[in-house]
Amino acid sequence: MKKYINTADRIVPVVFILILLVLWEYLVKLKSIPDWILPGPLQIVRTLAENAPLIARHAQSTLLECLAGFIVAIVFSFVVAFLMDEIALFKNAVYPLIVASQTIPIISVAPLFIIWFGYGMLPKIIVVVLVCFFPIAISLLGGLAAVDSDYLELFRSMQAKRLHVFRMVKLPLAMPAFFSGLRISAAYSVMGAVIGEWLGAKQGLGTYMTLSQRSFQVDRVFAAILAVTVLSAALFALVSFIERIVIPWNRFTEK
Amino acid sequence: MPEIVVEGISKTLGGLLTLGEINVNAADKDFVGILGPSGCGKSTLFNIISGLMRPDQGCVFIDGHDVTGKTGRVSYMRQKDLLLPSLNILENVSIPLVLKGLPRKKACDQALEHFKQFGLAGFEKYYPRQLSGGMRQRAAMLRTYLFSSDILLLDEPFASLDAITKRKMQSWLIDVFNQINPTVMFITHDVDEALYLCDRIYVLSECPTVVKLEIKIPFCRPSHGRTIVDPVYGVIRDAVMEALAI
Repeated sequence: MKKYINTADRIVPVVFILILLVLWEYLVKLKSIPDWILPGPLQIVRTLAENAPLIARHAQSTLLECLAGFIVAIVFSFVVAFLMDEIALFKNAVYPLIVASQTIPIISVAPLFIIWFGYGMLPKIIVVVLVCFFPIAISLLGGLAAVDSDYLELFRSMQAKRLHVFRMVKLPLAMPAFFSGLRISAAYSVMGAVIGEWLGAKQGLGTYMTLSQRSFQVDRVFAAILAVTVLSAALFALVSFIERIVIPWNRFTEK
Repeated sequence: MPEIVVEGISKTLGGLLTLGEINVNAADKDFVGILGPSGCGKSTLFNIISGLMRPDQGCVFIDGHDVTGKTGRVSYMRQKDLLLPSLNILENVSIPLVLKGLPRKKACDQALEHFKQFGLAGFEKYYPRQLSGGMRQRAAMLRTYLFSSDILLLDEPFASLDAITKRKMQSWLIDVFNQINPTVMFITHDVDEALYLCDRIYVLSECPTVVKLEIKIPFCRPSHGRTIVDPVYGVIRDAVMEALAI
């Protein structure tokens, strides 16, 4: 019975999406909307298939920027969160700055990176880092701060060194929070890279999108959007997969 | 000789005199109960004995040495099991040995030797969240024991368990402690638990906390269980209840 319900739960969203797609295709055909205004889903899939090698090449550089930016953001967040957690002065000095930095629209500073660092990959990676850093750092810091102080007292009563406490208690207990930040960032990272590419690049899905859009090849824009979606979902799934390996114990719920 | 002597401890917390002139002691292999209403500063007293907190006045002597404000001599177990969800039971229990500098493998081997005695055999690889509250408290007890085997401070270790599990854990505790014979101070607000487990009971008052009554329990631990029908039990229970002003 349980199994049956589970399958039903999975089928419902798929059927719903299919209905929407059929409706979309039907309306486009019915109203004979031209392709350069709104192509139907079938046309988009056809375009994606025809341009697959080209889109794959663009997707490759986007993915590379994402991963590079993502990894840098993770390392950077770990260092900053560790320092903030251990040194109150550092936290007081830096925390407001980090929060304030989030009010700056990324789209307004991204062009500056192109002026400073050119049209290569670096400015895109920087945008990805900026987009990913905040959710990761804040969730990690939140996780570290939320550790039950009774754990810390227990370890203090056992004369544990600070490093031991950090490694054995704080870090593992902060991991679930860290991974929820990581999953949000994974989805954002592709968006960050695409924004970076919009403003000027030689390669990447963002470039492909702007070029297609300027020539009114709306089906290609949609094909690129589809590729971006798949890429984001794949990164999200990858993070969830890594989470299952790194913190297997988190699957057990409290009895 | 593992013994605890607490002399004239007082402590003000947040402007409130929490502990006022407390004198308690536990001789070698003594099982001493600290009984008092909730919020009366029992845990503060343990924080001071364990060295986590410094008293405003007074001293703590263990084995005749002044250890006021020094951690590391006694082990301290709380109501919450505080097992790390990230480690399995065996790894959790061997933490104190690892902290003392033993290599991980050796610490696990050494901890493993006690699993049967503490009723944990077969649960080594389980994660804390997979176990019941009673099993987790057993694991927490073993971890406490492995840090310091001769002096244990137990702060309401069974308070979060249901009545039946609690009773089982109490007789389990008696069995285990009859084998390892530690010196114990045991905080509780459950009168019957104190009478069931302890050799001697200090009854504390509400804030500012002072010792209201010190009473010896004339039953010896192994033959417990039926003492509730003993007329002496009723007399002692009444005296304790009166001191608690219930």
